[in-house]
Amino acid sequence: MLRGRLNVLFNSYDPNIRQIIAEVGDLEQRHISMERPRIKDQIDEIITRIARQELKQSDLDTLQE
Amino acid sequence: MKLERIILENFRQYFDRQRLDFARDNQRRVTVIHGVNGAGKTSLFLAINWCLYGRNVENVKVIDNVGELISKEASNRATIGERVRTVVELTFLHNGERYLVRRALQSTKQKDGTVSLDLSEDFTMMRTRANGQAERISNPIGTMNAILPVNVREYFLFDGEKIDNFAKPEAAAQVKQAIYLVLKLEILDRARRHLESAAQDYRKELKQTSGGELRNLIEQEEKTRAEREKAENRKVELEQESESARRKVAEIDQRLRETQNAKFLQQQRDLIERDLKQRRTELDSLLSQIRELATGAYFIIAQPAVDYAIQILDGKRERGEIPSSIRQQFVQDLIERMYCICGRPFTEGSSEHQHLLSLLISSLPSSLENDVLDTSAALRTFSDHAEKHRTDLDAAMRRRIELVDLIKELEGKLDDVGRQLKGSPLEEISRLERQREDFQADMHSYTLEIGSLTERIKQLTRVIADLMKSIDKAQKNERHGRLLGIKLDLAQRAADAIREMYQIFADDMRTRIEAKTKEIFKQLIWKDSHFQDIQLGPDFNLEVIDRYELPARPELSAGERQVLSLSFITAMSRISEEEAPLVMDTPFGRLSSQHRNNITEHLPNLTDQLILFVTDEELRDQARMNLQPYIGAEYRLNFDPRTSCTEIAEVSND
Repeated sequence: MLRGRLNVLFNSYDPNIRQIIAEVGDLEQRHISMERPRIKDQIDEIITRIARQELKQSDLDTLQE
Repeated sequence: MKLERIILENFRQYFDRQRLDFARDNQRRVTVIHGVNGAGKTSLFLAINWCLYGRNVENVKVIDNVGELISKEASNRATIGERVRTVVELTFLHNGERYLVRRALQSTKQKDGTVSLDLSEDFTMMRTRANGQAERISNPIGTMNAILPVNVREYFLFDGEKIDNFAKPEAAAQVKQAIYLVLKLEILDRARRHLESAAQDYRKELKQTSGGELRNLIEQEEKTRAEREKAENRKVELEQESESARRKVAEIDQRLRETQNAKFLQQQRDLIERDLKQRRTELDSLLSQIRELATGAYFIIAQPAVDYAIQILDGKRERGEIPSSIRQQFVQDLIERMYCICGRPFTEGSSEHQHLLSLLISSLPSSLENDVLDTSAALRTFSDHAEKHRTDLDAAMRRRIELVDLIKELEGKLDDVGRQLKGSPLEEISRLERQREDFQADMHSYTLEIGSLTERIKQLTRVIADLMKSIDKAQKNERHGRLLGIKLDLAQRAADAIREMYQIFADDMRTRIEAKTKEIFKQLIWKDSHFQDIQLGPDFNLEVIDRYELPARPELSAGERQVLSLSFITAMSRISEEEAPLVMDTPFGRLSSQHRNNITEHLPNLTDQLILFVTDEELRDQARMNLQPYIGAEYRLNFDPRTSCTEIAEVSND
């Protein structure tokens, strides 16, 4: 599958960025037959979920400091 | 995706239920389906497409101008009112899971011989997991998009006669589109655009939230708390000082009480002070009472309106309107009994009856009468209350003046005692009294400052409470702002990452396809020494370079164009690493034997599953021999001219 090649391509990026690209890519794949897919909310959900994880981690790091 | 089986029921010329199993063995991966022109090869090819995608998906046409899908033989045999079912069921394997896709039409035979469709197409997609558990797929389009999207399918399920399209000089856009779709470039491009759009939205939202607000509020709160603490400390300090001064005064008073020449004056002062304390307490209490009376005096303003209402009610009473002289129930009883008050009977419509009816109308219901009476009584009490209130307030005000005067008088007396003690010829008494006066002055000063500080502390406490509320709100906003900032950062970085990598990936894919197309083309074309190179430029123009290093595509024959297209499609399939079958409808029609031989020799190794719909002429001699070791399933489509129906017959290869 091309997925493996794409994973290698984005290997040097932050894991959160890689995760967003992979999940948004899957979402786009599922809607590829649509000319104008309505996936704005789903993309926001993906980004918000990962952003929350990052915020939580950042708060934990601050507490440990 | 590997096709496993297809079952057709009353689909076009396939009458009744017929089944075909595809070869999917690693070694024998080729399925050959023979049929003369019109036997049903294209119908079978169509059945696969219709089953997977229907007539169209979104704006992509899958089936166009193909006529009726319902078997005419089935329609013809059906009796009037009988239902005819048209079903295509396809089973395939994908990523270790088995999928079953069923698309059905149901129609009813009409009196005029036609059939009318009962409902729209019924589509079911089931998945059986590796553990044997089956489930219905709720989003079949999304699932098919993940397996083999409708707009990619034409590069895997294709009509051999139209295959040379890619090799036509004007096909650069089509080549580009094919690469975009099959090699996920379209997905990357869409993902980038959507992520950038998300980042833009987050940026806009972030601009609206103020970043420094929380910091400012916290600084303000810190300052206010420090100020309050300072005030509280000062208050404690003053209270201690005041207490110390009070003790000193008490000590002096005691000494004066014990001093013979000051004793009387001091005792007098003690009495005055006790009285003064009592009066001051009384004045405090009175002031509270006056405040309460003044606050509750609002209804005095309503007095004129109340008086007017009483006047109206009294007027009505004087005129006999309230309470009415005749009770409604009494009149009602007379009418029911049809007897006059004097005991004389009367008839309906008589003058007595009419009179009673008019009385009934003018009389008031007893409940309303009671309400009016209650209101009247309540209003009179209201007036009494107002009067009492006014009297109480006047009395309190008078007493206040009295008390103030009394306090002034007592203070005057105290001053007088103080003056006498201060003016004492005895130095000790005079000194003590001056000291006492100083301490008293300090105490007054402390009391004033303590009062001022108490007010300030109260005010600062209110400010802190407000600030805390604002901080809580700002914290929520700030957290939202922080989250928004992270979201913006992630969305923008993800979009940038795709932008940075997109061209690298696209160029890599293009170069790989170029190399693979060249490799396959050299295997398939018989004039391999004439055609030296294949180039797929950055503009996605597919070019063939001949031995003179000149572009040769315009000069390619139809067969050579077909070979070039096949090489390109197969190369894309290999590079995309998509697990999809190559299903080719009449692929060798235009090809000479050299090309057929080359293709049949190499094509089975270039795909995981190959399904060929061929005429007998397309696949014979060397071509047939080349393919033979790979054929895992072979069928013949037998068209019966008597019924116009096709039967799928398995060909034995033993």
